[in-house]
Amino acid sequence: MSTTSGQAVAAGRLRAPRPSAAERVMRAASKLTLPVILLLPAMTIIVGLVGYPLVKTIWLSFTDTRLGDLINGTSTWIGLENYKEVFTDEQLRTSLVNTVVFGSACVIGTMVLGMCVALLLNQRLRFNWFFSLAVLLPWAVPAIAASSIFKWLFDDRYGFVNWALVGLGFDHFKDYAWFADRNSAYVAMFVVVVWQSFPFIALSLLAGLQTVPKDTLDAAAVDGANAMQRFRLVTLPLLRPILAVLVIFSTIWDFKIFDQVYVLAPGVPDRAADTAAVTSYREAFALGHFGTGAAIAVVLFLVLLVFSIAYVRLIGKEART
Amino acid sequence: MRWMLRRGWMYVCALAVSAFALFPIYYVVITSLKPRSEIYTRTPDLWPNDPQWHQYTRVFTEGHVGRALANSLIVATATTLICVLVAGMAAYALARLEVPLKRTLLMLILTTQMFPLVVLIIPLFVLMRNANLIGTYQGLVVAYLAFTVPLAIWIMRGFILTIPEELEHAAMTDGATRVGAMFRVILPIAGPGLIATATLSFIAAWNEFMLALTFMDTEEKKTLPLVLQQFVGRGDTDWGAVMATSVIYTVPVILFFLLMRKRLMLGMTAGAVKG
Repeated sequence: MSTTSGQAVAAGRLRAPRPSAAERVMRAASKLTLPVILLLPAMTIIVGLVGYPLVKTIWLSFTDTRLGDLINGTSTWIGLENYKEVFTDEQLRTSLVNTVVFGSACVIGTMVLGMCVALLLNQRLRFNWFFSLAVLLPWAVPAIAASSIFKWLFDDRYGFVNWALVGLGFDHFKDYAWFADRNSAYVAMFVVVVWQSFPFIALSLLAGLQTVPKDTLDAAAVDGANAMQRFRLVTLPLLRPILAVLVIFSTIWDFKIFDQVYVLAPGVPDRAADTAAVTSYREAFALGHFGTGAAIAVVLFLVLLVFSIAYVRLIGKEART
Repeated sequence: MRWMLRRGWMYVCALAVSAFALFPIYYVVITSLKPRSEIYTRTPDLWPNDPQWHQYTRVFTEGHVGRALANSLIVATATTLICVLVAGMAAYALARLEVPLKRTLLMLILTTQMFPLVVLIIPLFVLMRNANLIGTYQGLVVAYLAFTVPLAIWIMRGFILTIPEELEHAAMTDGATRVGAMFRVILPIAGPGLIATATLSFIAAWNEFMLALTFMDTEEKKTLPLVLQQFVGRGDTDWGAVMATSVIYTVPVILFFLLMRKRLMLGMTAGAVKG
């Protein structure tokens, strides 16, 4: 009974006339209605508030634009002049170098500390709950609050750090002004950035470590591999995908760093400790050189784009599997 | 004894890391409870000898911290509500429906996450100026959607993908429409994911500084990070006020983090809470 009716339906479907072209268009359109309605608001936001500004900034980077020009739309096209300035002007070029050197240092510091902490957390010591809670907290502190906190800790006269260093016998640090010199300002900013970023890296790596099969580690131990060899030969290769994602991720974070530098670096003479994001912002909004500011932003964007593409490829690969 | 040698150093390291992580937070809290004479001293104590709340009452009455707190709450809440609605719709479409160029769209959404805000800020400033939205909540909320929506789409799509599609099919064979199934079947199950996404968007908006610095030009509309930065930027910094404000600014985020500890990690790989 059911087979015959099934055949009848199949036969009926075969005999039905092919839908006309207009009908097919209508059907495709109706199939698209719901996705379009659902996606429209989000796409408007992404195109209007990310896509358009990006294109506009790239255009501005080829123009001479002051505040008045910006508002009236009367920028003058000057070709690559802004970019020439970015790479010849001492201060602007320094900000790019600062970004790469300081950013890389922060990435290395964060990754090394994050890895050590992840390995420790994975040991499941007693009081592990306390340890993991302690490690979580710095991540929750907003960047501006963290910068304020460390500016207080590193205060020249009443700061805890100088008091502790002098107490330990380093008399050189009596009234030492951390934020008046480029290198010492970087030391302080490095501590802030690492303090804020290592929790995320550590907890992500811990999640990765927990997927390393214990059998494999035990087998390696039976074969005579010591702890260091087990880490290098078993754990590290298995962690490679997540490590790659995290390195790219922190590179993007640390290269576009703004808040901490904006709060902590203005005391350095000649603004020699500013990173590209801060310099771009200052060129535009403090000095009114919107074209130059845009050019620095575009250079930073292009540097980060390389990392972003690498990141998207890695994530895309994971999403597919 | 051998145990001490094998495991002992790990405890020492764990203790050192915990101290590094917690000490700054602890020191801020105690500074905010100290009277002036104990703050401005060259021999700081590691505990408040005479703890008192007056820094907090002072920043709320003299400073603009109360108003800034309200501004921050308004902006972050509005951003979160709009963001979750808009991103939720898009995430559903990208998880469940046939969308042309879906892969390209997804990759684009992920890439926008990586953009430095400074590359968008000049045109955004012009847009806001021309729309007369400088110094308004609306303007800042709209600008915040630029970076919260892509993030939220990515996270929520991940959550929706973990819900078995059969549930919707079952609802639809029982006579529900696709939209009905979306609201009645998916939405309740996706609840935890929605809450996690909402939390992340809220924190992202709460922490944001650069856009607020550019758009909120009047004292009445400044958000907490702006007020805090103003306190710190002054030549003769009032550290008691700075510390109390830092605590007020940080406590909501810490509460969120403690409540959402497990779920936060899920969303994080898409790239979230960070200045």
